Order: sequence, then C-alpha cells, then structure tokens
Amino acid sequence: MNLPSPLELWRRFQRSAVGRSVFRVGLPQSSLERAQAMVSSFVLHIQPAKTHRHSLKPGYSLGLGLISLYLFFLLFATGLLLMFYYVPSTERAYDSMKDLQFVVSAGLLIRNMHRWAAHLMVLFVMLHLCRVFYTGSYKSPREFNWVIGVCLFLLTLGLSFTGYLLPWDQLAFWAITVGTNIAAYAPVIGPKMKYVMLGGNAVGQEALVRFYALHVIVLPAIAAFLISLHLWRVRKDGGLSRPAELDEPVTQVEAPRLPTAKTYGLMELARGTTPQVGADPDEFVLSWPHLIFRELLLFLLVVVVLLFLAIFWNAPLEEMANAIHPPNPAKAPWYFLGLQELVSYSALWGGVIVPGLLVGVLVLLPYLDGKPRGVGKWFAHERIVANSVFTVCLITAIILTIIGTWFRGPNWAWQQPWKPVAAHTEAH
Amino acid sequence: MRTEPSLRKFYGWFTVLGLLIGSLVVLGYYKDEFREWKIYQRRYFQEEARRANTPQQHQNAQNLELAIRQIQVPDLNRVDRCTTCHLAVDDPSYGGYPQPLAYHPLHEQHPSEKFGCTICHRGQGRATTSAEAHGAIEHWDEPMLPLAFIQASCGKCHQAADNPAAPELARGQQVFDESGCRGCHKLDGTGGILGPELDRVGARRSPEWLAKHFIAPASVTPGSAMPPQKFSEPDLHAVTLFLLSLTGGGAPGYYASMKVIPSAAEGQHLFQQKGCIGCHSLGGQGGKVGPALDDVGLRRSADWMVAHFRDPQSVTPGSVMPKFGFSALEARALTEFLIRMKDQHLSLSLPSLMGPVERGREIFRKYGCAGCHGPAAKGGVPNPNSKTAELVPGLLYVADGYTKAELKARIVKGQREIPAMDPKRRPPPLYMPPWGGIIKDAEMDDLVAYLISLKPKGEDVGF
Repeated sequence: MNLPSPLELWRRFQRSAVGRSVFRVGLPQSSLERAQAMVSSFVLHIQPAKTHRHSLKPGYSLGLGLISLYLFFLLFATGLLLMFYYVPSTERAYDSMKDLQFVVSAGLLIRNMHRWAAHLMVLFVMLHLCRVFYTGSYKSPREFNWVIGVCLFLLTLGLSFTGYLLPWDQLAFWAITVGTNIAAYAPVIGPKMKYVMLGGNAVGQEALVRFYALHVIVLPAIAAFLISLHLWRVRKDGGLSRPAELDEPVTQVEAPRLPTAKTYGLMELARGTTPQVGADPDEFVLSWPHLIFRELLLFLLVVVVLLFLAIFWNAPLEEMANAIHPPNPAKAPWYFLGLQELVSYSALWGGVIVPGLLVGVLVLLPYLDGKPRGVGKWFAHERIVANSVFTVCLITAIILTIIGTWFRGPNWAWQQPWKPVAAHTEAH
Repeated sequence: MRTEPSLRKFYGWFTVLGLLIGSLVVLGYYKDEFREWKIYQRRYFQEEARRANTPQQHQNAQNLELAIRQIQVPDLNRVDRCTTCHLAVDDPSYGGYPQPLAYHPLHEQHPSEKFGCTICHRGQGRATTSAEAHGAIEHWDEPMLPLAFIQASCGKCHQAADNPAAPELARGQQVFDESGCRGCHKLDGTGGILGPELDRVGARRSPEWLAKHFIAPASVTPGSAMPPQKFSEPDLHAVTLFLLSLTGGGAPGYYASMKVIPSAAEGQHLFQQKGCIGCHSLGGQGGKVGPALDDVGLRRSADWMVAHFRDPQSVTPGSVMPKFGFSALEARALTEFLIRMKDQHLSLSLPSLMGPVERGREIFRKYGCAGCHGPAAKGGVPNPNSKTAELVPGLLYVADGYTKAELKARIVKGQREIPAMDPKRRPPPLYMPPWGGIIKDAEMDDLVAYLISLKPKGEDVGF
C-alpha cells in the first residue's frame, strides 16, 4: 500500500473546501502566491511581502527584538496558566506557589518558564536597545519608534518588577520594599508615588492587589498595544535600518502630487518616498519563505533555551514574606541593583538624578542627535563620540550592577563573593 | 516548485530544533510525572495486594489510585500532605513497618483529621518530596522536630508543667525555673534584660544550637556573657526540649481550650488560685466554714466531686458554696488533685498561708536570681574579671552589710558597673540590672525578707 506522505496529506487538506475556507491560498507555490500569503494572512501581514537582504543578516539585528517579542508571547501564555492557580492575597499567594510546585501538574515547569522568560526579556530588551543605539537606528525616520521602544523598555521593567512581588516570599517582599523606597527618593512626588504604588506606606495586601492588577492586565495591555505600534512603525519607517548606500540603486519615486477634484483609490494616497517593489529585484527577497523561516527558526531556538532553563533550574522561592524579619542585605531585583548601589552612595544621585537623566536622555536621544550619519552600520566611524559615551555609561551601569549583585553583603558592606560569608548571627 | 538551495539548510535546523524541543518536553514530562511520592504509593499498593486475603480485599487493593492525599486543618491554617507518602499512619496493622509506611500510635487523643501532622512534627506540610516536606532545606523555617524532642510540641497547646504524657517537658520547665534563666532572659514578660527574650526561641533555634548554648554559650554566640551551665545529660535534654516548645503565639480556638490538662498539678494550681482554703482546710490549715478536705477522696466518688465543682447545689441541695463556673476540664483537675491528696500528702504552698520569707524564696525563684547568685543564693557563678574573685557574689551575708531599705534600693537600682580585677581586660560581662518596675513592690519586701533571713544562725561575728 502506498500511503501519502504527511506533507502531501497537508497539501490535500489545504486544497479541500474546508482548507481553502481557512487558508485562502494553499502552501504557496509561485512567487505570486508567496507574496499573497504574506498579504492575505492576518498573522503575517504585519510584515512586508518582500524583505531587504540586509535585514535578514543575523549578524546585523541579532534577532534581539524578535527574541524579546517571543519571550513576551511565552510570558503571556505561561502567565495565563499561572493565573488559574494564583490567588493575590497575602494569606494564600505563597501557598499557591507551593501548590504549583508540589501538586499542580507541570506547575513548577510553567512557573520556571515564566520566571526565566521574565529575566531574559529584561535582558534582551536591554540588548535590543543597545543594538539599536550602536547601529544608529534611532535616527530619521525612526525617531518616534525609538521613543516607543524606550517606553517598552520601561514597561518591561515595570512588568518584571510588579511580577516580582507576587510570590509573596521574603525575596519578593523585601525587593519591592527596597525598590519602592528608591522610587520614594524622587523629589516632591516621590513619597506620594510610593504611596500610590503600594496603596499605603508599606508592602501589604493593598500593594499585592495593585501589583497583581498592574501585572496581569494594565501593563500587558499597554505593552501589547505599544508592541503592535512598534512593529507597525518598523514597517512604515521602511523596515530595519540599513546603510543609505544600499538603497541607492532603488529608484525612489516621488508620490504623485494629487490633483484636486478627483476620487482616489487607496494606493494613491500613499505619501512620501517608497522603495519600488521590483525596481531592484536582487536586493529584495520574498518574505515567505526567507524571512518566515528565519523567524520560525529563532522561535524554536528561544523555546529550546527556555525549556532547558526551566527544566534544570528552579525559580527561587524563599520563606514566606515576613515584615518583621528583614534579610540583611535586602536587595532589589537585579536590574535595579545598579541604582541601589548608587543610592548607597547618595540617595539624591541614585534615586533621582541618574535615573531621571537616563530616562530623559534616552527619550530625547533621537532629537538631540538627529543627524542621519552612520545609520545601519555597527559602530560606525562617524558615530564614534556617541558610541563612546554610550559605552562608558553602559559599562558603568554593568559594573554597578555587578557590585550590587555579588560584592555587597550584610549592611551593604563590601564582601568578596568567593569568600564564604561569616556565620550568620541574628541580632536580637 | 522546488525548494531553493539557500533554504535547504533550514530544514535540517528545523529538524534538529524540533527534536530538541520534543526531547525537552518529554524530559519535562518525565520529571513532572514520575514524582517521588508515586514510588511510595505504588509500594503501599503492592503491600496491600500482598496482604489481601479475601477477594474483596484484593479488589480494594486493585482499586487504589495514585493521588495526592492531604489533611486540611483550617483552624490551624494548615494543609498537610504527609499522608501522601505516609499512607498507613491510621492503620494499626502497619505497626512496626519501616517508614514511610509506619503506623502512628497515639491517634486516639490526636486524630489526624483534627490535627494534621505538622502542628506537632513541624516540617513543610504542603510539600510532596521528602527533602522539602521534612523541611531541612534552605528557605524553610520549620524543619521537622527530631523525635527525641517531640514532647516540645505538647507545649503548643498544653501547659508545660502538668502534662503527664510529657514528663521531659515538665522537667525542662523545672530546670529552667530552678537554674534562674529568667534572671537574664525574659519569658512571657517576666525576667531580666541581660539576655535576649525567649518567647519565640524554639522557632528560631535548632536543638543542636540550644544544647551547645547551655554548655558553652560563647561557642555559638561569640562574646556571650552567659555563664556556662552544668546540667546532667537528661536535664540538658529536658531544658533544650523546653526551649524548643517556646514558639510564640498561642494555639487557636479548640486547641487552646486544651491548655488545661485535668491533672493533679493543675488542680492544685486552681485550688490555690481560687482561694478554696478560705473556707476549707487541708492539713489543719485554712477556713472552717466548709468541711476539711484531707480525706474527701475517701468519702466521695470522682463523679460526685466533678458534679459538685460544676454546681454544688446539684449534689448538695442547700449548700452555701457558690457556683464558681469551673469548666469540665477544671472540675476534673480539681477532682484529680483531691483524690491524689488521699494517697500522698502533696506539699501545699499556698501564698496566703506562707510567711514573707517563704514567699520571698518563691520570688527569688520566679525572677531567676539563682541564675547569677547561685542556687539558694550561695554564689559560685563565674563572672570573669570581676573583683569578687571572678564570681558573682553569693547573698548569704547581705544581712550584715545592708538594712532592709538599703537592700531594697540596691535591687531596684541595680549596678551597671562591676569593679574589674584587671582594668586592661574585658570588663566583667555580668552585672546587676535594675529590677525596679519588674519586681513588684510587695514582692520586693518579701524578697528582701528572704535575703535577710539567709544568714546562717549563730554566726554573728564578721564585722
């Protein structure tokens, strides 16, 4: 008996009446169908039918934004599953963590995936930001997309920070206590901000419910919207940035000036210069399969890494939160440890001036440094000053974070991580 | 249409990554599915099948299903999953089996559905792996209490001193009181200020730490001023056990109502507290309004006495004895006390019948003065580098140096600076804290009377 291969069966299904009603076009066979597949699918249409070869180079984008996006999806999926068991009450939150670990099928695995994906997302969003900076991609016409990106970076921190409290263990409780205390250093609005965040003066039931609502609804909804906007603008701003000289062979067509008193088709309303599809066929390839395959490959890679981490390393869970028993030292989440280290020198600098300046400069960056020089190249020579300044800031932040993470012991005193900490004696 | 050559390599990668994901999912499933507790449950099923004799029993053994078992005790805010592995705790036929299948005796008074497991044994009730459940892990505050110390848990609901089932706990409290630990450590609001409070010490410290801390305090708390204690091996165990019972916070509701164990000692305590001696007499001491009670245990049945305590009119119509509103447990405790009176003459120490010197001796004991000044105030406790021969002075001869008023003032004020033998060395660690405001005024008079009385008779020389 000659059985058809699975691929053949799949093709037959797509050709059937049911298959056609679902997919519109089958597995695309010709270039036309491949372009149609991209345009006619809701899921795929956010990407162009054709992609510039430069955008496909793994060494250029490193896939950092895409990895962040995948992690967001995975966080969404695992977070939804966790919500089935989690109860945001100070009496039951910690117990639901224990139940996830000990009773729920795959509960620990899901929680581990969520936890590691959250840390990875913070890391990859930061790396993505660095990539965009070092390639000068925030310059015209992508200024505003950079601003959206900075907002997304802050949202990622917010999502991670609000999620940090939810397990309601000692780690969570004191990290949020420290984190919100740093926020309270801001002048005038600081203490009020902390009060609003916590729903009181200290971390408690009100804070837990607020953080929960922010974590599962408010921030994800805003993030999902901004991510859509971010991706939309990547397309509308001409795809990934690339050196201007690569675009030279492409005929830039000035959109026709529109005479008045005429009805227009939608296509005629396009404004500005657009690369003409087909003007230089060698530089653009069909997104299906060249882009789609690479994206799928990267997704599989992210899933593999995340599963691997989640299977072999458990998410931390310390003793239940105890407001009268602070650990020494109490540390903020790792991405705020650089700030905490700064705060230990000066509350004003670490809590107000540095984070304020950082966010301010990041948001305004494309408007402060808008000259479109050295766009689309890593470490472009023309941008040596900007890149140097950025690198110095980056290394400083990394050093501060490393010190805060590993070199700070009880009472925030200097310690050497490779030396065992002196036997812990309790103060009475 | 053929696959473009440039895309061929992707198929290889898809295959590799797909297989990787597949194997990781299988691995994750394996870790999740084959949990430790299932091994123990299967072992139990096999044992049940092996022991089955009748077809019905065979059928029952076949029908057992793998499932997490738990005891929920909402009043204690506990979910104990211990019975997920310890499946036979309620089955006496498993007596003598090795763990985890051993039977748990003593369940008549403490049925597992009402108590769970961790309220006595500690550990992590929600956990379902042995390491996590037994709690000897990082980030869990309550590791299982070693069985040798299990009597410490009786103190959670019951009073330490009068539980006949927990003699070591009672002995531990006795050692604690007699050694004068309260002279430096506060417990339940009574005690000195030199050492840390002990109200929750049993929740914070391990048995090993506590035992070491008695014998060589400085080895666990560098620089500790506490004099090393010389306990016999059983007393060391008992007092360690007593400290382990101090976990702070009372038991709720029903469990707290079990505080009073209807024992003779509790009965004696009630007898003194309620002032029965005002109307009745024991050993010739006390009031004459009601009958003497020395031989009441011979004259009356236990049931009669219990009924009498609940409501005197119900068994003796026209009795002038008021209804005191004793609970059933209290009535049984009083009865127990009076019955025991007939067997052996318990020494009654009723404050109202005692002179100031006897009361003073009790106060000396209550505030742990012996901790520094030695048993019966004879001294001998080391205080390194103090001028008084590196010892805390005994108090036998205070009558020679102080008037009553002076002595009282001395106790109220205390003495922070103890003269050092060698000013270059570390100053003497023990000092006299100010006891004013801690020891009540009336108590102070009795205490001074006791201290003045200590001077041995016939020794009037000296100064």
